Amino acid sequence: MPVPWEALIPFGLVTAMFGAAGTLLNPPRYHIDSWEEMMMDRDQRLTGHARKQTSNPIAPEGFETNSVWYAERTQ
Amino acid sequence: MNSFHPGESSSHPFVEPTPLPASIPKVNEVGATSAPLKSAAFFIGAYCKEFNEDFMLCKAENRDPAHCLKEGRRVTRCATDLISKMRENCLQQFEAHWNCLEVNNQDYAPCRKPERALNKCMFEKLGLTKTIPGTAPGQTPIHEVENPLFGRMQK
Repeated sequence: MPVPWEALIPFGLVTAMFGAAGTLLNPPRYHIDSWEEMMMDRDQRLTGHARKQTSNPIAPEGFETNSVWYAERTQ
Repeated sequence: MNSFHPGESSSHPFVEPTPLPASIPKVNEVGATSAPLKSAAFFIGAYCKEFNEDFMLCKAENRDPAHCLKEGRRVTRCATDLISKMRENCLQQFEAHWNCLEVNNQDYAPCRKPERALNKCMFEKLGLTKTIPGTAPGQTPIHEVENPLFGRMQK
C-alpha cells in the first residue's frame, strides 16, 4: 500500500520554519538587566535600531546631545 | 501644598540639545555599540589600564560628574584609539567575534573559537593578552579551558 507522503509535508514545513527562526533571524535577547537595557538604548542612539551593531571608533555627530532624560511632570 | 499629585510621564521625552561649553576640551565619543565593545572589553582593560584606574579612583573621591571630566576624556581617547588599532590590524577576527556574540545573547561561552582567533591576532599584532582578573593562581582561566562543561543553549 502506498505511503501517505503528503501528510508528512506539514511536519517538514514546521521543522524547516523552526530551524530558520533559530538560525537565520537574529535570536531575541534574554536575561536583560538594567546594564543591558542601558547599552541597548545607547545602541539605538548610535545606530537607530536597538539590535543594529557597528564598530566605528568615533560616534556620529549628534550623539553627544541626543540622550533622553526620562522626566515626569508633577504640578 | 499637602495634597498628593501623581506624576505623569511626558509624551515628549526631554532631550537637551545644548552642547558642552567651549571651555571644556572636545573629545570624540566612542562610536562602537555593545557587541564590539564586549568583544574588545578585555583588551581595553589591558591597553588602557592606567587611565581606567585613574578614572575609577577619581570617581571614588567624588561622584559629581564635573569632578572627573579630565580623566573621563583620557579614558574615551584611549578606548577610541584602541578600537581604531583593532580595526586596522585584526578586522576579520574582530568582526567574526562580535557577530558571533550578537547571535548568542552576547555571552562569551558559545563563541570561544572566534575568540581564540582574535586573541591570537591581538597578541601577535598588538601584544595584548586577555587576562581575567581574580583568577585563582593554579586555575586555568575559563577562556583557555579546552572542553568546557557548559555549551551553548539549544536553538
